[in-house]
Amino acid sequence: MTTADGVTVPRTSPRPNAALTGGPISEGRRRRRRAENIRGWVYCLPFLIAFGLFLIWPTIYGLWMSFTGTSLAGTKTGFVGLANWTEALGDANVWTSLANTAVFTVLSSIPLVLIAMGLAILVNVGLPGQWFWRLAFFLPFLLASTVVSKFWNWMYNPQLGLVNTVLGWFGITGPAWLQDPSTAMISVVITTVWWTIGFNFLLYLAALQNIPDQLYEAASLDGAGRWRKFRSITVPQLAPTTVLVLVLQLLSSLKVFDQIYQMTSGGPGGDTRPVLLYIYEVGFTGYRLGYASAISYIFFFMIIIVSLAYMVISSRRSVKA
Amino acid sequence: MTRRSMLQGLGGLGALGATGSLAACGSAGAQGVGDLAYWHLLSGPDGVTMTELVDGYTATDGAPGVKQTVLAWGAPYYTKLAMASSGGRAPDLAVMHAARVPGYAPGGLLDEWDLDLLGEFGVKKEDFPELIWDKMVVDDKLTCIALDSHPFVLYYNTDIADAAGVLGSDGLLLPTNTPEDFRELALELGAKSPSGYGLSWGYLGDGSNQWRMFSTYYTQLGGTIELPEGGTMQYQEELVVQTAEWILSLIDGEVGNPGNDGGTAISEFATGSTGAFYGGVWESGSYRNEGVPFDMTVIPGVFGEPAAYADSHSFVLPHQSSPDEAKRRSVHEMVAYLLKNSISWAGAGHIPAYSPVVQDPAYAKLIPQSHYADAIDHLVYDPPAWFTGSGSDFHTYFGNDMQNVWARRTSPLEGWNAFVARINDLLAKPSPM
Amino acid sequence: MSAANPTTSPALPATRGKRRADAAERTAATTAAGRRRRRTDPARVVAFVILLVLALAWLVPVLWAALTSFKTEAEAAALPVTIVPESGFTLDAYITTLTSGQVPRWAWNSLLTSTAITFITVVISALAGYALSRMEFVGRKAIVALILASIMIPGQILIVPLFQLMLGLNLVDTYWGIILPQVVAAPMVFILMKFFDQIPRELEEAALMDGASRLRILWSIVLPLSRPILGAVSIFVFIGAWNNFLWPFIVVNDADLMTLPTGLQTVISAYGIQYAQNMAQAMLAALPLIIVFLFFQRQIIKGISTTGIAGT
Repeated sequence: MTTADGVTVPRTSPRPNAALTGGPISEGRRRRRRAENIRGWVYCLPFLIAFGLFLIWPTIYGLWMSFTGTSLAGTKTGFVGLANWTEALGDANVWTSLANTAVFTVLSSIPLVLIAMGLAILVNVGLPGQWFWRLAFFLPFLLASTVVSKFWNWMYNPQLGLVNTVLGWFGITGPAWLQDPSTAMISVVITTVWWTIGFNFLLYLAALQNIPDQLYEAASLDGAGRWRKFRSITVPQLAPTTVLVLVLQLLSSLKVFDQIYQMTSGGPGGDTRPVLLYIYEVGFTGYRLGYASAISYIFFFMIIIVSLAYMVISSRRSVKA
Repeated sequence: MTRRSMLQGLGGLGALGATGSLAACGSAGAQGVGDLAYWHLLSGPDGVTMTELVDGYTATDGAPGVKQTVLAWGAPYYTKLAMASSGGRAPDLAVMHAARVPGYAPGGLLDEWDLDLLGEFGVKKEDFPELIWDKMVVDDKLTCIALDSHPFVLYYNTDIADAAGVLGSDGLLLPTNTPEDFRELALELGAKSPSGYGLSWGYLGDGSNQWRMFSTYYTQLGGTIELPEGGTMQYQEELVVQTAEWILSLIDGEVGNPGNDGGTAISEFATGSTGAFYGGVWESGSYRNEGVPFDMTVIPGVFGEPAAYADSHSFVLPHQSSPDEAKRRSVHEMVAYLLKNSISWAGAGHIPAYSPVVQDPAYAKLIPQSHYADAIDHLVYDPPAWFTGSGSDFHTYFGNDMQNVWARRTSPLEGWNAFVARINDLLAKPSPM
Repeated sequence: MSAANPTTSPALPATRGKRRADAAERTAATTAAGRRRRRTDPARVVAFVILLVLALAWLVPVLWAALTSFKTEAEAAALPVTIVPESGFTLDAYITTLTSGQVPRWAWNSLLTSTAITFITVVISALAGYALSRMEFVGRKAIVALILASIMIPGQILIVPLFQLMLGLNLVDTYWGIILPQVVAAPMVFILMKFFDQIPRELEEAALMDGASRLRILWSIVLPLSRPILGAVSIFVFIGAWNNFLWPFIVVNDADLMTLPTGLQTVISAYGIQYAQNMAQAMLAALPLIIVFLFFQRQIIKGISTTGIAGT
């Protein structure tokens, strides 16, 4: 940042009076600096209070809770050492829910990146009806998870839903999509792709519009075909966006809760239960807040690993660039 | 734009302060007692009947208004109730399944009922059957007031049963006392059923319904289950296997459909395509609406004494940090009213817990209700523990592990042992209550 | 986005007029595909067809819900399934929802809490962002580092300790319980700080010399220059708050205080599942944001693509 004192102070203090009297300069400066110190903190204070109280404190307090037997009923808050942690590491449900989270993340992230890119490229060709494409693909992103789940629960309804009705026209008896272990996860993934693709789509669209036209013009002069230009201009130019979109997508898919809670409650038989849902069940349905905190932290560490991986990748990229 | 949005924001904040403080005061300012907040998990025919009962109470002299909130049955409801109680701003009255009360009460999430106050409104200890009273008292405290018991029973299609010649001269299903007899009867029903199946039982994805069926026959066989905190689950393995094999023989593709979920089983019976149906009494309202000709009976005791898995809807006082005495009084009055008028609750299929109603001649005239009223002597509740009761983890885990048994993917003992291991895990931990 | 907004281009695929085709090309980033594209390009037709099919497919769930919401309850639950309401379009489901349910109450709660969250977030983030951008004070760098690091903390894992904290503060089942934890938006502080960094300092310095206070400078110089970013941040925060499910779901149990997404999910009807009403509720809950989007499409899209990256 270029706000070092050396740059700003000479410019803001061409005060002849102060400059003339020598000694008081530093006195005035010190006073001003003290005032600036106080003012800086005062301006930051409202945010910092909220930040400390609702983000930093729960982060620390949650860690403490993971070493206690805190329950929802407020009883037995004693220190239990590592008991929650060892239990969590040995709890098959923790691992299956982490595995479900991973499966959901992979299954949803791939189409959410690739289809978003494809849609953005198609829309960016400059076909007429731009507002309509944006509306269609982006609109679902604005809907609350509950609304989306209601729409799709209704689509997937085994007897009355549109999906099985349409399949029925072709003589196919569709499964009970959300209740059948073999289709539940993929059904939730389809809903998620439908719901959130608009966000990635917009990021790609913005990235495409930032590719300088000259690159394509130059390539045309060199006689490059459409495919050639796509391969050697569009794809590489989109690479940074793809890394960004992919990481954002991974991070948001890992945090999946809403639509799964609302559509399957983690069922059938826990087959779609992600780790956040398990934390909710353990902590609030099962009353064991302390244990839920321990699981939260295990999950937290995994998120940090993904974030750090991104930082390493992106810093390596910038070094290369 | 900034300024305008800020102004809008300010307006919003002002309104927020206003409504916030309004909400904080509640409607205490209103004349008499404010509205009673009443939570329950009854919807469909049950919900309609409950709404009518509540309307009946609010129409009585001096009764406060009642604001009902209906939450989805099972875990969503119980989670919210516990969270509200721990927050200290719980509703004034709530419905809980009696079998879940022992798990809640020790944690201080429930307040105690005042028997003297109930007495003032004409409700006494003697008005409840013993089996049910036992469930109402937890740690020597009157913790819940049962409204009903709702056993797991056998429904049968009277037209099909008649055609199959399995009705007695009284028009009731002929008694069966041995497994062979019962299977024979089911096959005869099946022979006259459009689907070819004599029995319908839905289990896929429904742990509670799997447990109801298992618990019923396991108890008939004399099986017991104990869940000592800090210990391991106590049960009789041979009886478990015997029960599982018996249930499997009922969904063998000959007697019953081998792969039903709850909805399919219900629609099978509702459309008159199967002869009989295992289910809770609460389905009777829907069947009546469907117009299918049916009657109900206690599940025959083919292995001995009949047994009827049951739970009870019961009234609880969720913990409030500073309860309003006037409201508490109204709540006692309201519950007494609901109990005394539970004949209409019987209309939804449940057996009223309040004996004067069941002993009233009016109840004997209710059909099919009076045909399974003797279930009240054979009720089997969940073994007490902090994680059992309707819609509890106990049921969910049972379903998770035993579904593979019913679907014939694993052996009964394999599924059962997996279930026991999970329950033992829960027992090994100190109860969070 | 450039000033030549693609949405205003009237080009049609079948139009062969030179001017139209040129216009279409200018809007496309791939203009360079050049002269060969003058005539109706088969690739473009294919692209158009693919997009059209996909876009319609994308709208199907909404249309299906809308059609159901106009059916009678009996028809909505009847087999065989009808696509278009055969017994005619009826508004019954909407009327019942609006008159007897709690949907209007929840919508009000959503509006109230989302507005408050947006307002508070923007105010405290702008103040902090300004201080971090313009003032030199002890601990500034530490604060920036802390804010940046905190972006990695996924709020969702904090539900358990946050709920405990709310119990302690006696804020469970209150509006403030919904609002307060949602006003902490570290990425927004960062975005605003970065934006303020780009505003030239000369104007402020002149005002400072005239004796204007920092607050006055912020209010009358910096904020007016920051309208686009403030709008973007507000939109992003508001949409997030309006749609937030998990936190309001955890902290509120009283049906009267629920927001739209939580109320719709949690509270059911004593009369059992009513499909048409269910869809009417969903449509009503979706409507406010759909309308807002239709009016402010450009701002929202811009807001999302500028702040969304840091905000997710």
